[in-house]
Amino acid sequence: MTQHEGITRRGLLGMVGTAAAAATVPLGGGSAAAQPDTGEVTVRMTVNGTATSLTADPRVTLLDAVRERLGLTGTKKGCDRGQCGACTVHVDGRRVVSCLTLLATLDGASVTTIEGLADGDRPHPLQRAFVDQDGLQCGFCTPGQIMSAAAVIAEGRARTDDEIREQMSGNICRCSAYPGILAAIRQARTEMR
Amino acid sequence: MTTSPIGRIGRETDRVDGPLKAAGGARYAADHQPEGLLHAHLVQATVGRGSVRRVDVSRAEAAPGVVAVFTPFRPLPLNPPSPQQSGENYSALQDTAVRFRGQVIGLVVADTPERARDAAALVSADYAVTPSRTSLADGSPGVAQGVVQKLADGVPSIDAALAASPVTVTTSVSQHAQHHIAMEPHATTAVWVDDHLTVYTGAQAPQRAAATIAARLGVDPAKVRVLCRYTGGGFGQRSPVWNEALLCAAAARALGRPVKVVLSREQVFTAIGHRGAVRQTIRLGADTDGRLLALSHESDGELPAAGGWQMMPGRDTSAVMYRTPNIRIDQRLVTLDTPPTWSMRAPAEAPGMFALETAMDELSVRTGVDPVELRLRNHATEDPVEGRPFSSKHLEECYRVGAERFGWSGRRARPRSRTDGDWLVGTGMASAIYPAWRQSATARVRFGDDGRVTVSSATSDLGTGSFTVLAVVGADELGVPVGSVDAEVGDSALPPGGVGAYGSSVTTSTVPAVQAACRAAVEALVRAAVENPRSPFAGLDPAAVRYRRGRVEARGRSVDFRTLLHAMGVPLVEAVGATDPNTTSPYRFHCFGAHFCEVRVHRLTGEPRVARFTSVFDVGRVVNAKAARSQLRGSIIWGVGHALLEADPIEPDGRFAAATMADYLVPVHADTPEIDVHWLDHPDPHISEFGARGLGEIGLVSVAAAIGNAVFDATGTRVHDLPITLDKLL
Ligand code: FES
Ligand code: FES
Repeated sequence: MTQHEGITRRGLLGMVGTAAAAATVPLGGGSAAAQPDTGEVTVRMTVNGTATSLTADPRVTLLDAVRERLGLTGTKKGCDRGQCGACTVHVDGRRVVSCLTLLATLDGASVTTIEGLADGDRPHPLQRAFVDQDGLQCGFCTPGQIMSAAAVIAEGRARTDDEIREQMSGNICRCSAYPGILAAIRQARTEMR
Repeated sequence: MTTSPIGRIGRETDRVDGPLKAAGGARYAADHQPEGLLHAHLVQATVGRGSVRRVDVSRAEAAPGVVAVFTPFRPLPLNPPSPQQSGENYSALQDTAVRFRGQVIGLVVADTPERARDAAALVSADYAVTPSRTSLADGSPGVAQGVVQKLADGVPSIDAALAASPVTVTTSVSQHAQHHIAMEPHATTAVWVDDHLTVYTGAQAPQRAAATIAARLGVDPAKVRVLCRYTGGGFGQRSPVWNEALLCAAAARALGRPVKVVLSREQVFTAIGHRGAVRQTIRLGADTDGRLLALSHESDGELPAAGGWQMMPGRDTSAVMYRTPNIRIDQRLVTLDTPPTWSMRAPAEAPGMFALETAMDELSVRTGVDPVELRLRNHATEDPVEGRPFSSKHLEECYRVGAERFGWSGRRARPRSRTDGDWLVGTGMASAIYPAWRQSATARVRFGDDGRVTVSSATSDLGTGSFTVLAVVGADELGVPVGSVDAEVGDSALPPGGVGAYGSSVTTSTVPAVQAACRAAVEALVRAAVENPRSPFAGLDPAAVRYRRGRVEARGRSVDFRTLLHAMGVPLVEAVGATDPNTTSPYRFHCFGAHFCEVRVHRLTGEPRVARFTSVFDVGRVVNAKAARSQLRGSIIWGVGHALLEADPIEPDGRFAAATMADYLVPVHADTPEIDVHWLDHPDPHISEFGARGLGEIGLVSVAAAIGNAVFDATGTRVHDLPITLDKLL
C-alpha cells in the first residue's frame, strides 16, 4: 500500500478511501500465525534492524504497534485514515502509511521508522537538510515528511521541483513549511546521490 | 538597540529544536507513556440539539479491558467554567443537555487504545431532540455587539455619507466554518502522584491552562503542572482548555491511574472549536478619484449557544485601515446550535480584510484607479476613528518594494485579457494589517556551572520558533554563542508571568523580558563574584567588575562564568526579569503588509491555481530571519487555503459536512506557489526598546483578497463566497 505513485492529490484521496475500506476486511490467508485461543496473532519482523516479535489483536495497525507496543513514538498519528502522511514508514524499503497497514500482514517484513533512519549518531542527509532549510515548524509532520522524502528520492521521483511537490502531496504540513521541505529535499538529493 | 559582538539578531539561525524533531525524538502529548497507563475514548452526541434521555453502557462495560464508562448519569465531577472566561459555557457530563452535534456525552476508559475505542462504539444513547438553529443566513441580522462610528461634522448618518458620495460600491461576502487542523490531534496524558497532577497537553498558554484545570477540578493551582515542551501546532486552537483534557484529568483522579485520551481526527472537528462562519457587507463611498468618503462594514458572525469566540471582523480592519471621514462598523452575532467557535490564526482579520480588500478592488475597477495607487491615495497616517498615530508605519514602502519585486508596473487592468495556452492569467494585490499586542511577560536566565546558559519563559512553542527566539536573544544579550544557550518553554512550573502564545505577541512581549532577565542575571553574577569569599573577585567594588561575553573581568583578570561558579562552589546563578508594557501609549500598534500575486484559471475546467506570490511586510524588528521567513510563507499558504479550499458547511441537522481530512481540504505541497517574502528593516521605536511587533498572523491577512482580485483579473468573474472553487468560475 504505497501512498501514491505519480498521481494527483484528488486521485490520492480517492485511492486512500479504497485503502481504508480494504483495511476493515477481515484477514484471511495472511502469513501471520493465528492463535486460536485469544484471537491474537504473532508477527515476527525486523524493526530498525532489530528482530522483533509481537503478539497482538489482529486489528492493531503498524502505527499503533510501533507507538504503543514498541515505544517508537517518532511516528505520528495525524488522522489514522491515510489522509495526512504523518505516519509514513518504510516496509521492505517502500513508503507506506502505517495507519492503514495491519501489523498482522507484516510477518517477515523489514520496517524502518524515523528512529532507524540515521546512521548511528550521524543524522541522515534529509534530517540535516530539514534543519538547514527550516523544513519544519511544529515538527509533528516531520518524521512522515522525511520518511516519504527518503523513499521519493530513492525512487528517482525527485527530479524537478514540480515532481517533488506532486510526490510529497500525501504528506500534509499544516504549518505549511512546504518551501523549506522542497529546499531540504533538493539539498539531500544531491548528498544522497 | 542591542549591539553585541555576536550579533545574532535578524540573521539566519537554525531552529534549536530542529535536530531533535527531525530525529523523531521530540515527545508530544500523546507520546508520554507513564507506568500503569489507561486509555480513554470520547463518546459524542449524534443529534444536533436536545437532551440525553438514557445511555446504555451495558455492552461497553462488558467489553474486554474496559475499566470505566462515564456519562451524564455517571459523571466525573467538574466545576462549571468561570463566566468571565470566553469559550465553552458548560462542563461536559454535568447535565443531560445536548447543545450541538459532537458534544461529549461519555468517556470510556480501558487498558488499550483499541479496546477503549471499540467499547466507545458500543455505547448508545436515547435523545429527546429539538430542532437545531444552524443557518447563519436565516439568523441574520444578529445581535449588535457595539457599533464603532465616526461621522464628519454635519453628517447625520453613514447612509447619508454614502448617498452623497459620487461613487459607491457594495460588496457582500461570506465564508463557512474553517478548522485549524493542527497536525497533532488534541491529546492529554494525566498523571496524579499523591495530590499533585501533571498534565501533558498542548497548551498555547501553559500557566493559564494549569490554572483552568485546577479551577475546574477544584484543586490547588500550585499542585497542577502543565507540560507541553513540544506541541504539534496551535493556531489558536490550543489557547483554551477543552473538555477532553478536563475529563482525562478527572478520570485519572477517579481511577487512581494515569489516563491518556487522544482524539480521533474526526472528533477534533467538533470537540474542539472552529473559526465561525461569517457574512459581511462593505459599502464604500468615494470621489471619482477613488478617495474614500465613507466606509460601512457590517458583519454577522456565528456564535454557538455552547459558547465560543466572538467573530468581530471590522474592528481591527476597516476601523483602522484607510483614511476616511465617515466610518461605521456594525458587528453582529447570531446564536446557533453549532460546535464551539474559537480564534483561528488572524481570527477576525483574515475574514475582515477579505471583505474590505475585495471591496477596494471593486472600487479600483469602478474608478479606473490602479489598485496600488488607490491604496496610496487612501493611506492613513493615524487611526481614522480615534485619530491616534501609528507607532511605526511603512506601508507605502511595502507597496513600492512589493510592486517592484513582483513586476506590477506593467499591469493592464483589463480582465480576461491575458492567456497562456489554456490558462487565463491574472494579477491582484491587497493590503494587510494586524494589531501588535504586548503582554506583560517574565523570563528567567541562569548561568550554570556546566558552562551553559538557560533562558526560560512559561510561554509555548507551537512551531512558532520561540525556543530559538529565547536562545538567540539570550545569546545576543550575553555575548555567548547560540549553541551554548538552552531554551525552556512549555512548562507551567516556570516563573509566573509567561505569555500565552497568541495574538502574534510572544516575541513582542517576551524579548524585552529576556533582555531584562539577562541584565538581572549579569548583575547577580557580578554580585556573587564580589560577595562570595571563594571568588577571585571577592571584596571588590561591584562597579569595578564587568561582565563581557560570558566572562567576568576586573583588575586585569578575566574568568569565564563556568570557572567562576566552580571556584565559588555555586551550581548556578539566576535571575528573573519582567516587563510590563506601557499600556497608556498614545500610539496604535499595527503590523502592515502588501501582497501581490499571479493566478491562473483553466479556461475549460475553471481550476484556479496560484502561480506566484510576493509579499512585503512591515513588522518591526525580526529576531530570526530563517524562522520568520518560514512563518510568513506558511501563513501565505494558509491564505491559499482560505481563498481556494477551506470550508465546512453545516447541515440543517447540525452536522458538519466536511469533518474529515479527506473532505476538509487544506493546502498540500502541490498547492504551494513560488513565494517571495520580504520584510522591511524598521524596528518599532515605541513598542519596546527592541522594536519587534510579531509576525505569526499578518502573513495570512488579505491573501484571500489578493487571490480573489487576481481571479477577477484573470476571468472577469468576482467570487464573493469563499472558497473560490472551479464551479464558481465556469
Ligand atoms: S495518520 Fe496515517 S495518514 Fe494520517
Ligand atoms: S511542521 Fe507542523 S505540520 Fe508540518
